[in-house]
Amino acid sequence: MKRSVYRYLLVVDITQSMNARDYHRTGLPADRLGFVKVSIRQALHDLPCGSELGLGLFTTHHTQLLLEPLEICQHFSLLDDTLEHIDWRMAWAADSHIAHGLYSGLREAARRGKETRLAFFSDGQQFPPEPEAPSFDGKPGEVGGVIVGVGGSQPVPIPRLDRENRPQGFWESVDLRDYLPASAMPGQKEGSAYYLSHLDESALRGLAAGTGLGYHRLETPEGLVRALMAKDLAAERMVATDFSGMLALLALFFLLLTRLPRLPGRK
Amino acid sequence: MPDDDRGRERKAVSFSHPWALLLGLLAVIPWLLSGQKKLGYSSIARLPEDRLSVWIDRGLRLLAAMAVLLLALGIAGPHLREQWVEKLGTGAQIALLVDHSSSMNENFSGAYLGGKANESKSALAAKLLVEFVDRRRDDLFALVAFSAAPIYVLPLTQDREAVRAGVQALGGRGHGITNIAPGLAMALDYFKGQPLTGSRIVLLVSDGGARMEEETGDQIRQLFQDVQASLYWIYLRNPKGGRLSVAPKNPNESATPEYFLHRYFQTLGVAYQAYEADDPQTLQQAIAAVEKLENRPLHYREKLPRRDMSSYCYGLALSCLLVLLVFQSLEVKAWNG
Repeated sequence: MKRSVYRYLLVVDITQSMNARDYHRTGLPADRLGFVKVSIRQALHDLPCGSELGLGLFTTHHTQLLLEPLEICQHFSLLDDTLEHIDWRMAWAADSHIAHGLYSGLREAARRGKETRLAFFSDGQQFPPEPEAPSFDGKPGEVGGVIVGVGGSQPVPIPRLDRENRPQGFWESVDLRDYLPASAMPGQKEGSAYYLSHLDESALRGLAAGTGLGYHRLETPEGLVRALMAKDLAAERMVATDFSGMLALLALFFLLLTRLPRLPGRK
Repeated sequence: MPDDDRGRERKAVSFSHPWALLLGLLAVIPWLLSGQKKLGYSSIARLPEDRLSVWIDRGLRLLAAMAVLLLALGIAGPHLREQWVEKLGTGAQIALLVDHSSSMNENFSGAYLGGKANESKSALAAKLLVEFVDRRRDDLFALVAFSAAPIYVLPLTQDREAVRAGVQALGGRGHGITNIAPGLAMALDYFKGQPLTGSRIVLLVSDGGARMEEETGDQIRQLFQDVQASLYWIYLRNPKGGRLSVAPKNPNESATPEYFLHRYFQTLGVAYQAYEADDPQTLQQAIAAVEKLENRPLHYREKLPRRDMSSYCYGLALSCLLVLLVFQSLEVKAWNG
């Protein structure tokens, strides 16, 4: 029988702005990366069996794959374990050129077959800031998928953590002065020396429009699952379906039918 | 049928559709109603009571009731949950520690390859490692990728498909510098808390070394001894790069870190073996050499997939029904006597 399944490459931004804590839902992590992980776990639970998810990381200009797409029901525990261990400290460098990362994610997805979609999780925080996104040289819409915007609209400071994940305060603009253009330096906003980060939706929407991807703002894990299960992103697969239950039910019905009292036979 | 339990509960037998068990209540119907034709007979009271017929009648009702019960049970979809069984094989617990720094994008001659890098060291190592994983049926594998920082990919597992998915993913472009020490620490960490059985191997696949602080070196030496793991290093040598066994002319740790790393590994106090590979053939030979080593009895647990038992129910129900069918055909349809 034909059934809708999904095949996604999930690429997660692990730059430090993803450590910013601007989710406020009881029982769920406050930091962006943690919230993304919880949401992906929900998708692992809720997508239909037969769907395949691959995991990848994004920092600097690149997307790096951790796992090729794997069937989610059979490999649930391992996918879950790998997901759980995704960490900002895996980053091989600290910059964040989102457009480049997105394009390399699209290339990776394209290499994995026509039905492989990309879901790219990012807060849109470009670092160092770039005035203009580089243009996309692929064919928009060739790879389907969705950009998932992570974070809140209110600017919040970015926690500064050491290699043991101990908080060391927040990133201040002064720390980053070598990388920032003069216009981004404090002074225009009095008192706030923190380098702030918010979900840059306009940038992400722009990228989505340029590449033919959808855009979804991550607000709840359930919302993400719905966005991933969009009809136009599904792949029809033949899935072995077991009809034996139906047939047994029929057999049961007929058996009981024969037990019903019949009219006495005529002589 | 969708399998939605994914190991949330722990019971030996469970049902996919427990509601269907209620259908079992219908079994009273054949017990109460025989379904045989009623035949008119003028003076039934005069017939002698036939004990045999009474028992046969009860037997047939019982059979029909059982058939109903079994069908209901079958529809409910009983299955044995996934089970872990202890197995004994010969093999090893192998932590793959694979370099994924940007230098792995080059081919063996040191030339940088562009987008379609089928011959990059990464791609080749990934391909050969997949074959290696496929051949070592009894081993457990864990996977760490490393460049500037270690990347946790998979814990020790028997799930070959997942290991393959992880190793294949490493065939793509690498990024960043080579920083071995944290990767080693992570790989060794996988063995902690695991039962010490079979042999433990860290299989390092890397095209270069990196300077290691003395303190870090001591910590890693301690870790190696704590978990009793041996180390194999497949060194993907750039033809211009130094050999491990030959001391460089002007020893300098930043120019020839490989040589120093090799020397350091020899002081670990655990079994250590290095293989140099400077072209695809020698790489294949190195992997084959690792493959021959380290086969010790290994206790491991294997997950048996869940087993569907509804077909047994249907089979039994069918045999009940066949017996009923035979008796039905013997039934007296009309009273001509």
